Amino acid sequence: MESKTKILIIDDDPDYVEGIKSILEKADYEVEAVYNPEDGFNTLKSGHYDLLLLDIMMGRGAEGVMVARKISKDPVLRETPTLIITGIREQIAYLFPGQPMHPHFLPVDELIEKPVEPDLLLEKVSTLLRLAEERKAESGTE
Amino acid sequence: MTDKAKLLIIDDEEIVLDSCLQILAGGDYEIATANNGESGLKMLPDFLPDLIFVDLKMPGISGFEVLNKVHEFDPTIVTIVITGFATVSSAVDAMKEGAFDFLPKPFTPDELRLITRRGLEKRKLELETIALRREREMMREHFAAIVSHELKSPLNAVQQNLFVLEDELSTQLSDEQKGKFERAKSRISDLMKLIHTWLRVIKADIDEIQTTFQPNRVEPLITKAIENVENQAVRKNIEISTSIKEPLNMVNGDEGTLVEALVNIIGNAVKYSPMGSQVLITAESEDDEIIISVADSGVGIPKEDLPYIFNDFYIAGSAPKESRGSGLGLALTRRIIEAHYGSVSVDSEPGKGSTFIICLPAVSISSSQ
Repeated sequence: MESKTKILIIDDDPDYVEGIKSILEKADYEVEAVYNPEDGFNTLKSGHYDLLLLDIMMGRGAEGVMVARKISKDPVLRETPTLIITGIREQIAYLFPGQPMHPHFLPVDELIEKPVEPDLLLEKVSTLLRLAEERKAESGTE
Repeated sequence: MTDKAKLLIIDDEEIVLDSCLQILAGGDYEIATANNGESGLKMLPDFLPDLIFVDLKMPGISGFEVLNKVHEFDPTIVTIVITGFATVSSAVDAMKEGAFDFLPKPFTPDELRLITRRGLEKRKLELETIALRREREMMREHFAAIVSHELKSPLNAVQQNLFVLEDELSTQLSDEQKGKFERAKSRISDLMKLIHTWLRVIKADIDEIQTTFQPNRVEPLITKAIENVENQAVRKNIEISTSIKEPLNMVNGDEGTLVEALVNIIGNAVKYSPMGSQVLITAESEDDEIIISVADSGVGIPKEDLPYIFNDFYIAGSAPKESRGSGLGLALTRRIIEAHYGSVSVDSEPGKGSTFIICLPAVSISSSQ
């Protein structure tokens, strides 16, 4: 039997996490949540996760960006499909002036704004999982 | 400036350079000299002077050209021209080019010391002004970023949980209960939009909204604004009627903030009107303008308050305590309207009511095609 798809959430707002966690669990994903950037990165590194949900604005600023940068430097972890959650689009524009709204931190990532409708969240998650699957298949056949 | 002030003296006469060095030697300065314009300019990037003395008449490039290049390099560097032919006209020309002062040759040691001190004071002020301005900008932007995070985070969490609850309960909820969910969700999303709007106003650049201006029909703007205050009006049994004189030109602008501005004004009209009264909204074209007026028969605004009601955080003394707001609504409205190249004004008589008038430039029919 194949095991459940595992998702890790890194977000410093437990109340918010509660909301998205139950959407994902209802859709039969296995979900773990970590509420600060450091533990989040360590957890991601120590286990195997199929997908990461990463909040950009954590702590005293954009600490989520640091996590994304650290992930992108790791040859294995950087292949994790990642859904980047942002409080408001303007924050991205503010952090990265002059850049396109979707700053690709990782090979397979996507941006989503808080709060997110359940259907949209599930759609984004499955799209990312599929893209990552395709990427893996491509590199395998080469 | 904790470091020594840096002076650069550019003059082709060796004797002038020498005497300047001697006169200023007692002061706490770092001094460099150049005997022509080109070599003086070359020293700029490495030496980064605070104050430059330039002889106007030199072989090679002229003092005027040096002035221009220096100001191009850094407009905050203070320049003083040394002029051997102390004609008023050349000094005036130099000042026009941005020189801070001029020093006619021959000069006494005291004259040189004095003008140096004054020039450096000027430089210090320039730098302080720039630093303060930068600090203010940063505080503003920083504030906007923090506020957006702090205010929006709890709302995000609430909204996210509402989404989930509604989803999980969807099969068990009655239509009435679903309606309550809708209402809660829409109020939270309104509040988030409001925070966005405020942030846009707080941030240095409200003109940002101008980048997305497009022609808007006026009537839907008014309709949307009325929808926003309908609940309040129903509660007080206030009738909001509209009278729109067609044909009405469109206005160039940002729909969200324009509606926001109208909501503020219509909302105030409802807030300060007695139960069972009427609020009348009119819109018409007049020359190249669209005039929107909102008239109520409320408490009115005393004459002494009128000049200030569009200021940040101003709340008129006549406002009933229970209906006082943040004092930002009208300030915000004014800024929004002004960003649309329009104006907002008020006529009011205490006890009888107020009429707010918004003027916005119309999109001319010919140019909109």
